Amino acid sequence: MSAPAPALAKPERRTVVVRLADVSATVAYLSLAYGLLLVLFPVSFPRIVLHSWQKGHLIEALMVITLSLDAYLYLRVSYLLSAKPTAVAAAGLGSLPILVVAGVSFLLQAAVSQTLSADLPNLQARVGEEVLAHTYLGLMSGIFLPFLGIRLLQQFKATSSDRPA
Amino acid sequence: MFDLTHRLLSTWSASLVVDAIRIMADWMSLKWLLWISLYLVLGVLVPWATALAWAHQHGSNLRPRPRQLFQRGELGLVGLVLVISVTWDLLQSQYMPQTRALGAVLLTVSGTMAGAVWIETYCRQSTGTVCSPERTWRDSRNLVFLVFSMAVVVEILLDRFARVAAL
Repeated sequence: MSAPAPALAKPERRTVVVRLADVSATVAYLSLAYGLLLVLFPVSFPRIVLHSWQKGHLIEALMVITLSLDAYLYLRVSYLLSAKPTAVAAAGLGSLPILVVAGVSFLLQAAVSQTLSADLPNLQARVGEEVLAHTYLGLMSGIFLPFLGIRLLQQFKATSSDRPA
Repeated sequence: MFDLTHRLLSTWSASLVVDAIRIMADWMSLKWLLWISLYLVLGVLVPWATALAWAHQHGSNLRPRPRQLFQRGELGLVGLVLVISVTWDLLQSQYMPQTRALGAVLLTVSGTMAGAVWIETYCRQSTGTVCSPERTWRDSRNLVFLVFSMAVVVEILLDRFARVAAL
């Protein structure tokens, strides 16, 4: 049997290789938007965040935002590179943002408890500032760290496969 | 229904008025803007201007653009220096240890990744491995943009917290 003609053979799509530069610009714009909201609405925006935290919706909102943005960024990179998304990376991006934001929420609870237990003046405002800082850091970590993990894993995998047996 | 809309509108407009007053009051204390401009000027503009001045002094036709000047990923080094400064400020703040630790880790990781672009390019060029200046420039520019934006927001948060703690 003869081999299929090269013109008829289906071209194999390579898998997505994530580069941090692909995602960092979007994360930077998001970070600037958060900063601008803090500067332009120094009272209203923190009040909305604090209200959302008091109602118990802040962490869920952070999980939804980070998960959606991670999925969007990964699909965008794969579209721009015309490459095939991998199952491992998709699974990582599906679970890591939730794990990271959950971790940040534990840290926030610990920070708030410690603030309330300390004998400090202006406790309410201090708690508000801690919530604002954790919201920002949770947002950034939830988007950036999963991509960093995938990038390092891909680099490690590439190095291992290049190494002679 | 009308009452509810009226109340919501009046609450929202009252908040906006408070925001406007607060912005006016805070305008004079926008130290973080001056601080970040200092890094931009000393880290990016001064080296570029120095290169242009050198070319002028030596009668050379050299007119390097920032992209050519930082094509080996040197911007990553500027980002790393910036991160060290912000991390130090964060560690000196009165935030709770959990907040300081989380912020310091996130800043350090992003700064290290920005600096790694410069290191990787150096290693590639030294060993003769394939190295694309286009890719190096894009990587270092995007990562430094991320580092700068994070540094700005962290400084804004630190400024807010310092005012709350001082009350």
